[in-house]
Amino acid sequence: MNVIEIENLSKTFRGKRRALVQALQSMSLTIDQGETFGFLGPNGAGKSTTIKIIMGLIRPTTGIARLMGMDASHSAARAKVGFLPENPAFYDFLTAEEYLRFVARIFGLSGKALNQQLERVLSLLDLQEARRRPIRGYSKGMVQRLGLAQALIHDPEVLILDEPMSGLDPVGRALVKQVLLELRSQGKTIFFSTHITSDVEVICDRVGVIVKGKMQAIERVEDVLLRQTSGYDIHVCHPRTGLHKTVFSEAKTLPEIIVSSRDEGFEVIKLEPRRQNLESFFLDIVKSNHE
Amino acid sequence: MWQVFRANLKGIFRDRVFLGILVAATIFPLIPSVSSLSMRQVTELSITLSFSLLTFILLLLAIFLGGTSLWKDIERRYTFSIAGLPLTRGQYLLGKFAAIAVFLLLVSLVLGLLLLMTVYVTSILHPPIRPVVWGNLVLAVLFHCLKYILLVSFTFLFSTVSTSFFLPIFGTIAVFFVGTASQQVFDFLQSPSGQKLPVLLQQIATGLYYIVPNFTAFDLNVNAIYALDVPLNGIGLTLLYFIVYLVIILSCASFLFARRELN
Repeated sequence: MNVIEIENLSKTFRGKRRALVQALQSMSLTIDQGETFGFLGPNGAGKSTTIKIIMGLIRPTTGIARLMGMDASHSAARAKVGFLPENPAFYDFLTAEEYLRFVARIFGLSGKALNQQLERVLSLLDLQEARRRPIRGYSKGMVQRLGLAQALIHDPEVLILDEPMSGLDPVGRALVKQVLLELRSQGKTIFFSTHITSDVEVICDRVGVIVKGKMQAIERVEDVLLRQTSGYDIHVCHPRTGLHKTVFSEAKTLPEIIVSSRDEGFEVIKLEPRRQNLESFFLDIVKSNHE
Repeated sequence: MWQVFRANLKGIFRDRVFLGILVAATIFPLIPSVSSLSMRQVTELSITLSFSLLTFILLLLAIFLGGTSLWKDIERRYTFSIAGLPLTRGQYLLGKFAAIAVFLLLVSLVLGLLLLMTVYVTSILHPPIRPVVWGNLVLAVLFHCLKYILLVSFTFLFSTVSTSFFLPIFGTIAVFFVGTASQQVFDFLQSPSGQKLPVLLQQIATGLYYIVPNFTAFDLNVNAIYALDVPLNGIGLTLLYFIVYLVIILSCASFLFARRELN
């Protein structure tokens, strides 16, 4: 089942002096159930615009966005979705606990189930201590974690997260990354935008790169990393002399080098692919669009 | 909608600005002394001053609560978080409106009690010639409250299309003045002097009379001050007018807000 479907989506805004700004151009994308999709793009590429259309905050100029098979503008489409907006802000006169209860009740939770979910997300996002403090006193990182907590309170099938790592310190980032990996292992569908390629590398099944409102590439993360492999580092050791050395080999010559090392009396102890990361894949796409 | 209502009502009670406005109610105990300076019709003057204070507080609350409520949510980006929930924009808007309406009702209740106590004290100290009809006072407070709830609906209507607080606040102030004067203008048009005006002007003014709200219909001050009978059919018609007008304005506001782009 396609959890998110975007067909031929375009969005044009009126900018300064009423000039037309094309934020999205004929974008199409489908996200399957259980998939973790990383949405990469430089600032102003159209990531947040896409997410806002999926969440029904703005309407597309042309095309259609569907969420759980329903038109994204219908409120019922969001019933099984957890959403974290970019730079989130919540009723700051409420405490975290009050806000989470407010969100949970809107999703139809009550009584024991609500309390259980509340405790679960508060401890998951490390907000137990601050739960009874007004949100207006929270740091940016705490608000971000609260944002993720409110997105998870109803145990949604789908998570749509706009820059979930934004404003987090290294500890917070590690925590959120861990939470996303756990959600992935539970089979949740996750769609998140970011410009941190290393997060996509670790968390995502697929990656989409958007530049200047156009989807430039949609690839499996695994495929990108494999394709980016330039060769292998072969770690060998001589059993008698104890001599260790590392030999680089291109993929083509790998079997021959392994055989010749053995002939010289070395044992292969580790074989490491030497590859460029997702960042170079992303930067290549961005550069090719600027040229 | 209920959850939005609850959260927003909580927010209003925790807002120091609005509680600060309510501090103006501390003037009520001074009214009997000030009224006694008039030497005659002291109770009547006390009722007049009490209603002036009550309506002034309600007006401030209606304009600033209503005018900043939706705008603040958009400005502070709360709407992005709320719009991601399975709520329609109409439910969100109505929840917010209901919170302000209930707050105004509660404030009217408290101020109404203070008003009754003030008038009671004055009537003991300076017994009036005409008896005080307490039911009229209560009705007058209730109808003032309805008037300001209706005014709040205009702040919401303006907020749905505005990107700043100027239109919601100043537009509503304009509606308040126009709505307060519309009946007088209409009465003038029916008078011999009004009939001498150009026909086109008369038609435009009459058309506007039916479009802009008529706040004079909610003013029962004279009945309360001079213990005049309040016609029941008039009350019924005003209530009906309130409901129909409110439904129309809130429907327009919901329609417009549902189409607003939350960038």
